[in-house]
Amino acid sequence: MSYEPPITDYDEIVENCTCAFCGCNCDDLDYLVKNGHVVAVRHACRLGASKIMEDMDQRLIVPMVRGENGELEEVDWDTALDTAAEYIANSIRPVFYGWSETSTECMKEGIELGEYIGAVLDNQATICHGPSLQAVQNAGYPIQTLGEVKNRADMIVYSGSNAMNSHPRHMGRYSVFPRGYFRQRGRFDRTVVTMDPKFSDTAKMSDKWIGFEQNGDYGFYNAIRAVLKGKKLTQNVVSGIPAEDIYELVEEMKNAEFGVLFFGLGLTHTLSKQRNIDIAIKMVMDLNRFSKWGLTPMRGHFNVNGFNIFMAYETGFAFGVDFARGYTRYMLGETNTIDLLVRKEPDCFLVIAADPGAHFPNGANQHLADIPVIQIDIHWGPSTELADVVLPGSFIGVECAGTSYRMDGVPIYMKKAIDKPETCRDDEWIVRELKERVMKLREEPNVAPKYVPNPAAE
Amino acid sequence: MHYANTYLDKPVVGDLEEATTEGTEKVLHCMLNTGSDIYQGACKKRGSTLKEEYKNVSGTCYMDPRDMAALGVKNWDTVLVKTDYGEVVVNAAKSRDAPHKGTVFICKGPWANTVVSHETYCCSDPTYKGVKCTVEKTDRKVLLMADLMRWVYKKYVDETDDDVIENMESLGELPVYKGRKWEELK
Repeated sequence: MSYEPPITDYDEIVENCTCAFCGCNCDDLDYLVKNGHVVAVRHACRLGASKIMEDMDQRLIVPMVRGENGELEEVDWDTALDTAAEYIANSIRPVFYGWSETSTECMKEGIELGEYIGAVLDNQATICHGPSLQAVQNAGYPIQTLGEVKNRADMIVYSGSNAMNSHPRHMGRYSVFPRGYFRQRGRFDRTVVTMDPKFSDTAKMSDKWIGFEQNGDYGFYNAIRAVLKGKKLTQNVVSGIPAEDIYELVEEMKNAEFGVLFFGLGLTHTLSKQRNIDIAIKMVMDLNRFSKWGLTPMRGHFNVNGFNIFMAYETGFAFGVDFARGYTRYMLGETNTIDLLVRKEPDCFLVIAADPGAHFPNGANQHLADIPVIQIDIHWGPSTELADVVLPGSFIGVECAGTSYRMDGVPIYMKKAIDKPETCRDDEWIVRELKERVMKLREEPNVAPKYVPNPAAE
Repeated sequence: MHYANTYLDKPVVGDLEEATTEGTEKVLHCMLNTGSDIYQGACKKRGSTLKEEYKNVSGTCYMDPRDMAALGVKNWDTVLVKTDYGEVVVNAAKSRDAPHKGTVFICKGPWANTVVSHETYCCSDPTYKGVKCTVEKTDRKVLLMADLMRWVYKKYVDETDDDVIENMESLGELPVYKGRKWEELK
């Protein structure tokens, strides 16, 4: 890599913008703007800066619909919205997937549309932190805000998470390096432990790396719990970690003044899935008998937590909510996008601010090749290659304001910095238009039949 | 307009101590993990998914140098990764997190999707990590994103033969669509 001079040629600086990349939602970014484009970003990490200074080659600007020969053709907004509305109105089992990279205001329109036609609403949690949400329902949610971590925590544990690669400012802004009220010396006042089979970049920066074997997380946490309860380990090595190392670690964890466990997809994607998180939450509960401990899932997108909080508030379920019967249902393995697609159930798929083409396994995506796919997004991505209608949205936090929820559940209002391209529309507007058009095409809303306790008696 | 540069040709990987072209084994049995790294994240979120860059950051199999020596591959040679769920051609490169003999890592993206398991075991979440795979050396080329999507899903192509689609004319690194308005507005 070569040296690059700083950008000095800009018209204005927009201060205190919020980053629309990961669950850290860093709200201290400065955008350098020239001719209505962000030419440089201050304070952001590599990922945030890269996202905000987007690739204009692939920016979706004009609505498009697939023509007869399978090529996308530019059309006007009315045609594109009507085509999309027709697909949705004529479907029996539509799935609306995505929502994690758009504002909570847009979700409000989406849930109205979903409820009206009886769709399944799901977000990226289904393929990343879904097991964490299930575990939270099973075992509890001992969470704290990132501000508490900064000011109080003296022991930080990253488990199955490579923060240096996927949340690059997490360590610098919230957990490890910053000086807090009770941690005046910053990094020197904290112990950092990384638990990961891989010697990841985060492990390289930690005081301790616990490289348990692949799929060994469940056994390892159980061993810690046993030691916490005063039991003696009967095996010399548990999940590839020597017993004496586990005793030493437990002693250290018990003696921490305020410990926090951050866990990532390393736990949710391996075989024991939500049971890994169950046991991690229970371990945190056990630790609370000795000291103060909390945990936080390392959420990926800037508003993936927002959708879960919003849905849980509105419907009682965090993700994979099915309105098909006229009331809300949620059943793991049944109303989740991947399971629905693998079973080839959906007959219309709306992708908003997500990229199933890039992130769903082949076995699930194969079904997208057979059904109409409507995409609302800002960039031409792998999903566009499968999309039948493309509706260009706008970039929340840069071109459009909106609310998002940080990984610890703190809502943050993201302000607008520049104008969006003239022909793009706000996500909120697009979904509202779709809703109104679908309501015209299908006049009867999808409601559950009246409940009759004993039909024979009537 | 001068933008701050976030583009990168290829991810930075370490040099191999002894680059061999003659391997001792034809097929390697490994454990496949997928996930994100900073190069893949930066490229994907910028939106440069049609570009050569995305192919290099996402369609790369990070391997332990001992495994690479056993197969006889150098950095940026191509390998064929096969699982029960599919097969895909990706680049090989020395892992920055080595040693992890017997484990390979492919960043998430269309390439990894082709070979990961869609089994959710009723937990909503497909099994992206810990999939058994085989790795072998190959002469086939790594496909660009648009070509790969055409090869795997065949949604808008009449052909059904994999080999024919693989050798079709590339869709290139820019969006393919009908119309001019977008080009003018950009």
